[in-house]
Amino acid sequence: MNDILDKASRNDGFTVPEGYFEDFAARMEARLPRQEWEDAAEGKAAVVPRSWWQKVRPYVYMAAMFMGVWMMMHVFDLMRSSQGLGVENSAILADAIDNEQFMGEYLASQGLYEDDLLYDDLFNDGFTPASYTSDY
Amino acid sequence: MAALPELDNERLVARLRDPATCRAAFGEMMRLYSEPLYRHIRRMVQSHEDTDDLLQNTFLKAWQNIDNFRGDARLSTWLYKIAINESLTHLEKERKRQGISLDDEESALINLIEADRNIDGDELALQLRKAIASLPEKQRLVFNMRYYDDMKYEKMSEILGTSVGALKASYHLAVKKIEQYFSTLD
Repeated sequence: MNDILDKASRNDGFTVPEGYFEDFAARMEARLPRQEWEDAAEGKAAVVPRSWWQKVRPYVYMAAMFMGVWMMMHVFDLMRSSQGLGVENSAILADAIDNEQFMGEYLASQGLYEDDLLYDDLFNDGFTPASYTSDY
Repeated sequence: MAALPELDNERLVARLRDPATCRAAFGEMMRLYSEPLYRHIRRMVQSHEDTDDLLQNTFLKAWQNIDNFRGDARLSTWLYKIAINESLTHLEKERKRQGISLDDEESALINLIEADRNIDGDELALQLRKAIASLPEKQRLVFNMRYYDDMKYEKMSEILGTSVGALKASYHLAVKKIEQYFSTLD
């Protein structure tokens, strides 16, 4: 076998058209597409014209940011009233405290009345079971 | 026979990695490697026309990926890998197009060899090509690289990603099969 391979002397028997390799590189060079980094290397980075919105956009975003900050500060200011929340400066609160039924229900719902305390209050108010008539 | 030139010198690689000189360096690289790569592809696919297409594809792929070439591998190793992938992909596409299996590919390649107009008159070379065409694809690759390119097994191992031991065994088997082929001719 080695005789055969030696005799063949690594000749694959191929031929190529005349001038093929000489022309090949030139043909290929013409086919190689332009790469972006070539333009960058030559200082010819592609310049895309900016639209009106792209020019104005940073200023609009800045204005929106300041508006948001102002609104937040205004809300915090409203929440932090210098007079505080009290019966003297809140008509709604004063009205609620004057309403006995509301206060009774409120205090009961908050668990502020224990049963004994409730009975004491009823007794002090002159309540007796006999006088109790259910409206419900 | 032109083996792959070991001109992976630092100068050429440095010029390829510089965007300002890359195109010119790529042209130089094509002039250096077009013939060895051509011969390698041609030994796999046989036809000159197919080889021309695949060689162009090889260099186009290399150009498209040139900014990914870090210079860690040798230039020749990198180009060889691309050329081999292109050749094997082409052979697979041809098998599907013709509806033939890997086993039938031998007959298809021998038909191409016999129809090839771009051959010299060397009968022994012709018979050897037919014998090589009868080998399984990977063995054919290994045999071509070892016999025609006189490539060291270590370099082959870098290109094909196969161990040196497996490559030596593959070449040994290929030689045995070619021997059997020639014995049937006697």
